[in-house]
Amino acid sequence: MQKRIVTMLTAMSLMLPTAALAASGDALFLQSCGACHKKGGKAAIVNPADKAGSVWEKYFARGRHSVDMGMSDADLQAVVKYLVKHAADSDQPAAAVIPK
Amino acid sequence: MKKILLTAGALLAWTSCAVAGAGGQTVAIPVEDYKAILERLDTLQKRVDQMERAESPSGKATAAAMPSKLAKDVETIYDTLDKVETKTLKDRINLGAELRTRADFFKLKNDANFGGAGSVEHNDNHWTNRFRLNLDSEIRKNLLFTGRITAYKNFANSDNNAFANDSNAAHLPGDSGLKLDRAYVDWTPEGMPIPLALTFGRQPVSEGPPSELKENRLRQSTYPSLLFDGEADGVVATIGLERYLGWKNSGIRFAWHKAYQDTNTSVSYMDNAGGMYDDTNIYAMFFETEIPGVRDSLLVLSALQAADLVGDGTYVGGTGKADIGDMTLYGLHVQANNVVDSGFDLFFSSGLNKTDPSGNTVTDAYGRPTGLMNTGANTDEHSGWAIHTGLRYNIPYKPWNNPKVGFEYNHGSDNWFSFTWGSAELYNKLATRGDAYDFYYIQPFNENLFGRLGYTHIDYNYTNSGMHLGDFGDSIAELDNLYFLLDVRF
Repeated sequence: MQKRIVTMLTAMSLMLPTAALAASGDALFLQSCGACHKKGGKAAIVNPADKAGSVWEKYFARGRHSVDMGMSDADLQAVVKYLVKHAADSDQPAAAVIPK
Repeated sequence: MKKILLTAGALLAWTSCAVAGAGGQTVAIPVEDYKAILERLDTLQKRVDQMERAESPSGKATAAAMPSKLAKDVETIYDTLDKVETKTLKDRINLGAELRTRADFFKLKNDANFGGAGSVEHNDNHWTNRFRLNLDSEIRKNLLFTGRITAYKNFANSDNNAFANDSNAAHLPGDSGLKLDRAYVDWTPEGMPIPLALTFGRQPVSEGPPSELKENRLRQSTYPSLLFDGEADGVVATIGLERYLGWKNSGIRFAWHKAYQDTNTSVSYMDNAGGMYDDTNIYAMFFETEIPGVRDSLLVLSALQAADLVGDGTYVGGTGKADIGDMTLYGLHVQANNVVDSGFDLFFSSGLNKTDPSGNTVTDAYGRPTGLMNTGANTDEHSGWAIHTGLRYNIPYKPWNNPKVGFEYNHGSDNWFSFTWGSAELYNKLATRGDAYDFYYIQPFNENLFGRLGYTHIDYNYTNSGMHLGDFGDSIAELDNLYFLLDVRF
């Protein structure tokens, strides 16, 4: 029985894609960008919905971010992907609003 | 800059030479020339001062310090921006659109309650087009408008539809007419002692969680679809609880909707005091939150009461209309997307319904008195239940744009009923009194276009699925449906 459980767990763990090991765009956005872009921070608060998806892509492709973010290309791409996914012209959730 | 300083230096050197000369000798120059040199020096000094101010620690270049061409370009850009900004501000409403073409190939094995005895099996195909015009506007910072107008039509507009009512006006295929699917305003009043929002209008209460997984989009409704999936007019008051509980996106909602309104306009403009039927009011309470410690998750606890349900005899092939009683529903919905970054989205929903018949009846197709889940003269109370569970796997295969594959299962008991007439499917799957198995594959082609191929099998164990009128009977009906669709959003 124990052997079966171990086999099953091993099979399940193999199902987990290796992508899980890479940091996700939203986490990077919160950690890296959020370090400066926050209330009382060095830079103004930034929301992905501040720009349209293609505008975000162009913004980083043109190197318009004035401060070196110290990110690897892969991480930057993950952040851009996250920004595009939640950009002003992306699909938005619809439900009665919950005030904070 | 450098050029100016060099010129100034050369002039100074020449001037000093003119005055002191080499080896203490004096050179005489005309007074006019000497004055001209001094004026020139003064001009250059002013220019240098001006440029030094422009490069001050504030780092702000002034237009005056810019070369004239650059300044002109900046002015042009400002002019363009002014035009764009003005145009943007004048566009009060943002528009979006969706178009879906869908083909269903189904096989229905009938029993006596599906098409009559003798009709054993029915094979057919059904094609539809659905166009949606989405609208939204941030009227003010605390006043948001969202709307959707839909034309959902059968190919050739030549099919009849059963159970057409206000809650599925934009979700039941028909002709090419436009229907108001949703139109509501979220108002978050300022200066309130608690975080309160009012949502009024035709509410976003169709295609709720977990429908978005199958629909390949983000959450589209306030309520979980197992309990309520349809269009409804009403008011929802939401109190945010995040600041009190510390749970992300937590809040409690108090909802009121009207499912039937008896306004006898032939007598007066107002609700006729002697009207034949009471209005059907729906009162509901929902608590929702992201599950603490589980990113991108949702937990919803629901309680809903439909008071004074109106029964329409034509729904069961009969006649009459009556206030047939009350229905109470309770629900639990749990959902987590991309669980521990595995690519799996999981959900589980459950519902419980309980009737309180009034004893009033309509007449069914066989001339029998028919009340709230009762046939005949009895006024028994009934309870039903249902579960809806499933998963979706996001295949991490980039060359194919990360396709998705999903499976859903739902089971409803003999007396299961909830308000799901606005289902996005042609069939009211979540109302099934029996078992429903649903498989689908989503192929995104790009950010705006995806296709879905699906297969659904439903075993109806009992009759009257999705119907609150009359008692259930045993059923042998089965539905097999294979479909594909193309969906564009922009």
